[in-house]
Amino acid sequence: MTIAIWLGSAAPARTIRWLDGALAAAAKFTQADPRKLPAVAIAAGDPTWLDLAADRATRAGLTSAGVVTDLQLDYLGWAQIVAAAARHLGATTILVDEASRSERFPEVAAIAELLDAAQLTHVVSIAPDGATIHASRAAGNALQTIRVRGPAVIGLRIAGPAIDEYPTPTPSASMKRLDLPALGLDPAVIVHRALPPRAPQNPRHTLERVAEHLAVHVIPRSPRTRSG
Amino acid sequence: MAAVLVHIDLDGDRPHPSSIAALAAGRAVASSWGATLYAALVVHDPSERGSSDTTGKIASSSRVPGVEAVQSALARAGADKVVIAVIDTPIAPLWSSIGGAWQVVLDHLRPRLVLFGADSPSTAELGPRTGARIGARLLLRARVLGGDEVELRDRDGGYVRASDTGAAVAMIGGVHRVIPGEDDVDLVVLVAPSSADPRVELVGTSAAEVAHTGGAIVVIGEDVATDAEIARDAVRLAALLGAPLVGGSGAARAGSVAPGGVIERGAALAPDVCVMIGTVAIDLAGASSLVRINTSSAKGVDGALTGPIGQSVADLCRVLGGS
Repeated sequence: MTIAIWLGSAAPARTIRWLDGALAAAAKFTQADPRKLPAVAIAAGDPTWLDLAADRATRAGLTSAGVVTDLQLDYLGWAQIVAAAARHLGATTILVDEASRSERFPEVAAIAELLDAAQLTHVVSIAPDGATIHASRAAGNALQTIRVRGPAVIGLRIAGPAIDEYPTPTPSASMKRLDLPALGLDPAVIVHRALPPRAPQNPRHTLERVAEHLAVHVIPRSPRTRSG
Repeated sequence: MAAVLVHIDLDGDRPHPSSIAALAAGRAVASSWGATLYAALVVHDPSERGSSDTTGKIASSSRVPGVEAVQSALARAGADKVVIAVIDTPIAPLWSSIGGAWQVVLDHLRPRLVLFGADSPSTAELGPRTGARIGARLLLRARVLGGDEVELRDRDGGYVRASDTGAAVAMIGGVHRVIPGEDDVDLVVLVAPSSADPRVELVGTSAAEVAHTGGAIVVIGEDVATDAEIARDAVRLAALLGAPLVGGSGAARAGSVAPGGVIERGAALAPDVCVMIGTVAIDLAGASSLVRINTSSAKGVDGALTGPIGQSVADLCRVLGGS
């Protein structure tokens, strides 16, 4: 199997620890079979983010490919780009860093759908074993042990070592630059998956607004009925 | 008439509470939009041979042994019609296990809106894949808002309205009150093709460590863990959110945190949402939403209450718990 890892369309929101963890997980596939080509890290977005992605990928022993674009797309839009890049690079198993930004998680399923691949979300550990991948998946309060064979898209939530500061990345010469037409994508078509512009979300500072934010996380216990 | 479809997970032999909450939300939407509300679930019946037709077949019998109570519960929770997709392979909350059967339901109903309970077991695997399959917009952790016309809205500003074109998939979070429906509803039984994806095999299941919690998590700092009132309200807040209460060894020594909830300083956590009470040192993933309750504000949060900590936690419990 040829491995690619989708790092996303923007830099991690809080820490690069999970980005490093996902890259280390991808590097395991090459370490398990040195005859294989190194896994390819794929990122999209602005040049600053691509430089960071390439830098962290190189440090993990991976090659990298970047799609320079200023598009702001929904989960299906980014999935189209990743699926096209995976086909271009010949990758059959795609890992996804779903921990660094919240919008990444639904892209796992969308990429799998476009590639007609098996999918697995919320994976917290992974071990390649020949043509089989052994994975542990968090499912509520349970941990599922799963074996995957064949083409798959796997969402990772794996932390790397703690890191306080990291060197400012320099523009990477080694990153393979891709553009949408080269991937067989028409920018005028894919823009239909653009997200509508939204005002930045400011932190909530009142009891009512914090409670409103948390209300969608309150656990329903049992059906409550009312008359009328 | 447009179809609003709600996926139902089972919790033992009853609908999962989060699925019922989604059904209640679906009832509000369907009534406002003039749509038909379908509740659909996938069940395992080893005696039923999978359909050779990839689109499934409608069973001649409209009875599925053992689901009468579920059908009745869904009817009382507001469903107009109940659809049961029967498969001959065991059920697991994975797309590879039930995705094929779920696809049969989607093909038969061609819904305009599909709802999932955000906290029901299959949602993480089925929800986004459903959206991708039908080319829908996706709302994560949405809720129903009233007004002249009911709409769904998520915390990032995404919304679904009756006037929208195209399909949408929404994962409904929180508690929604059930408006009782009829005791009896139409039942459609679909025999799905044998569809388990052999590429993914569930080998086993065990209890997850607290570090792998994917839903909500409440962390109490050692500076406030010895305050009995704050500790008590932290437990209450965790219960409301269905979250483990975690903290450092000092919090455990103070009796605020159970032994299984002890985390190291700088622990890496990636829950959906984290509430930090007091001064806490953990390494939270960027995908996690963060609410901090402390006397000073901080960067990188989605919400912060900076008044007296005890009062803030108590007030938050009161508002979220509705008492």
